[in-house]
Amino acid sequence: MLSILRPVAALGRFVLATVASVGRAGYLARDAAHAVKKVSLWGPHLLPQMMRVGVESVPVALFIATFTGVVLALQASYTFTGAMPLYLVGTLVGKTMLLELGPVLTGLALSGRVGANIAAEIGTMRVTEQIDALETLAYDPVAYLVVPRVVAGAIMFPIIVVLADALGIAAGWVTAQALLDMSSFEFVKGLQFLFDPFDLQFSIIKSISFGLTVTSLGCFFGFHTTGGAAGVGRATTQTVVVSSMVILLLDAFWGVILL
Amino acid sequence: MSIELLDIHKGFGPKEVLKGFTLSIRDGETLSVIGGSGTGKSVALKHIVGLLRPDAGEVWVDGQNVNQLEQEELYQLRRKVGYVFQFAALFDSMTIEDNVAMGLRRVLGLTESTIKERVADCLHLVDLDGYGVRYPSELSGGQRKRAGFARAIATEPKYLLYDEPTTGLDPVTTTVIDQLIVRMAEQLGVTGLVITHDMTSAFRVSDRVAMLYDGQIRFDGTPDELRATTDPIVKGFIEGRPDLMESAS
Amino acid sequence: MNRGRELLVGFVILSALAVGVVGTYYLQGTNFGQPQVARDILVRTVGQLNRGNSVKYLGVNIGRIEAFGVIGTAVRVSMLLDEDVVLPGDAAVILGPESMFGDWQAEIVSMAEYPRYEFYQLPVDAPPGVLPGYALPEMSRLTASAEQIADNLAQLSDRLELAFNEETATQLASAISNLEAISLEIRELVVQQAAVATSVSASADAALNEVEEASRVARRSFERIEGILSDSQIDTIVANMRVASAGIQAIATDLSEATGGISGTVDRADSAFARIDRIAARIEDGEGAVGRLLSDSTLAIRAEDVLDQLALLLKDVRENPRRYVRLSIF
Repeated sequence: MLSILRPVAALGRFVLATVASVGRAGYLARDAAHAVKKVSLWGPHLLPQMMRVGVESVPVALFIATFTGVVLALQASYTFTGAMPLYLVGTLVGKTMLLELGPVLTGLALSGRVGANIAAEIGTMRVTEQIDALETLAYDPVAYLVVPRVVAGAIMFPIIVVLADALGIAAGWVTAQALLDMSSFEFVKGLQFLFDPFDLQFSIIKSISFGLTVTSLGCFFGFHTTGGAAGVGRATTQTVVVSSMVILLLDAFWGVILL
Repeated sequence: MSIELLDIHKGFGPKEVLKGFTLSIRDGETLSVIGGSGTGKSVALKHIVGLLRPDAGEVWVDGQNVNQLEQEELYQLRRKVGYVFQFAALFDSMTIEDNVAMGLRRVLGLTESTIKERVADCLHLVDLDGYGVRYPSELSGGQRKRAGFARAIATEPKYLLYDEPTTGLDPVTTTVIDQLIVRMAEQLGVTGLVITHDMTSAFRVSDRVAMLYDGQIRFDGTPDELRATTDPIVKGFIEGRPDLMESAS
Repeated sequence: MNRGRELLVGFVILSALAVGVVGTYYLQGTNFGQPQVARDILVRTVGQLNRGNSVKYLGVNIGRIEAFGVIGTAVRVSMLLDEDVVLPGDAAVILGPESMFGDWQAEIVSMAEYPRYEFYQLPVDAPPGVLPGYALPEMSRLTASAEQIADNLAQLSDRLELAFNEETATQLASAISNLEAISLEIRELVVQQAAVATSVSASADAALNEVEEASRVARRSFERIEGILSDSQIDTIVANMRVASAGIQAIATDLSEATGGISGTVDRADSAFARIDRIAARIEDGEGAVGRLLSDSTLAIRAEDVLDQLALLLKDVRENPRRYVRLSIF
């Protein structure tokens, strides 16, 4: 092949691979939609997955939210001092945590924690033929493995994000009182000023979509793992990279659609 | 004819593994498929339970065309087939007991106590009494293989597929496994299909032996016929003489 | 299944729900536990008021907006107010911005304190307890009003330009300087014609009194002119100017009758007075011309000067008629 054509071929290969990937994801989504009906298969696994995907992720989400809240308050006061009334620090912390940083930072962190975990687990099951074994034992692996994880993600992500939102705002509040020249009253005034219950709904809608994204991408890449331990590593990395990108795309998407 | 593979073609990417693979397994017999590593023996096996779909050709199991079954019908069919994986493929998040009980839990109408009894029986059969509460990572390779065996037979399948059941085992354990295969056939009337490249084992368990070479069945006959073959490829393989095979191809 | 796990998952979910629900109500400014009572407002339009906005009385937050409903051409706004707040008997509600950032509030006031606000006229069959409301014009509407006012002003000044243009101003200025010249000429004339001064003073005494009175009034008018804007005052000024000029004309006529040698001067004076007359008429016709007069303060000052000199002359003539006579004797 002419060397000048190589990049063209590489591009073509990349596009074909991507399209094939999207096609496989479509099949998996179809199978998953089908498998949701088999409640008896995935039902018993929902709780353990909610535990793994959700409850065990709470500490890391809260850790991130706390420092986000603190930093937001500090930076807002740095920006506003002398230029705007300081109670706007409360407004900024509240709005930013709810609309953006609560869901997105939690989503990104959990794409590493939850998505990678799922991809590694299912990927290992794939390369050690455990998924084939499930099939031969008449278990639908999509219903058995994918559905409980995705459902747990869709349920637990908003739960985690609501807690993270609350703790982030609380951390901003404490910071405003402890480190800034603000009274609690001022901060609360700022919080209540311009607050709209839709802010929280927006946060929840976003986090549900992030939960679905992270868990289903983890399942997808895990399911299509090939090539032993190295393949599992690859699936894990892909999950984190792709779900981070999709989270940011969805973030923009919801911003355009809902705001 | 209980399991029939007709003119199966299967490729992965540019590489064609099966090129017109045709094989029949009669009810009650134990058939071994021998052949070198990477010749597609496992691939052929996976077609029988629908884990892989052929690019061309038909797979008939128990009178049903596997590739035209709806998902639920396929799962029904799979309950009649036990599959012993090469590396056992035990679920490592579960105890051995739960692994063995997995198939049973999909059979309607079994009480938990029945399942428990049945699991104990199966573990006893593979000589793993008392290992039920352990996790797969706490077992040796041979024990895991036997546990996988127990899982495959727990639902009392009509057909048992063995993917290299003795690979990597010491001679004693190999003999134990071989005896299990024979016992399955004799006591339960199970139809067996054994994928192996262990010739000792193949001669020991088989009613019939087939050799896969270059994507097709090169030889199909009784162990005695196999011993007497003059085909240099087959002869070279069973005697472990690459020179014979090379000169023939 | 592991009971502890179930409990933990349940606990996390419940705590998130609790945080979400309580937090939402808290951030909306709901009072927990305090007894509240519902009141309605009827108002023509609600502007930017939203559900959840605060209701204030005497600057204190006493409740919030609950709901809106359109009834015919009015809006019924439902509020939840703290029960223990006692509202004034003639309570009304002003809807308006709470801050510069666009959030609105409803402020309960006593209607008597805001007589100029057009609160909604409650229908006679309105249930008791419904408060009339008035929404302040929104910022956008204020801007529109300001534009309209600016347009009107532009039109007005255009019309003013027509009524009181540069030409008119120049004419007024030259007329006044002519008056100046005339009064000087009169003084010289009197000096030259000292012989006839006695008869002049005698016959013109009444006219002089009249002129003095008129000029005093005119000067007072000019002194007050800076504080004056209403048209009736202009009428007075113009009328006084008329009287003054008529008086001067009378003096001039008497002088000409008495002397006969100064016809040329009198003719010039005549034309000057006629011109003042014309200007006065134009000022009368023009709208708001006094503004222009004020803006060109030199006009007013010079007019005052003229009157001053005139007054001095008249004073001198009356107080020392002998001097003029004596001069004529010598």
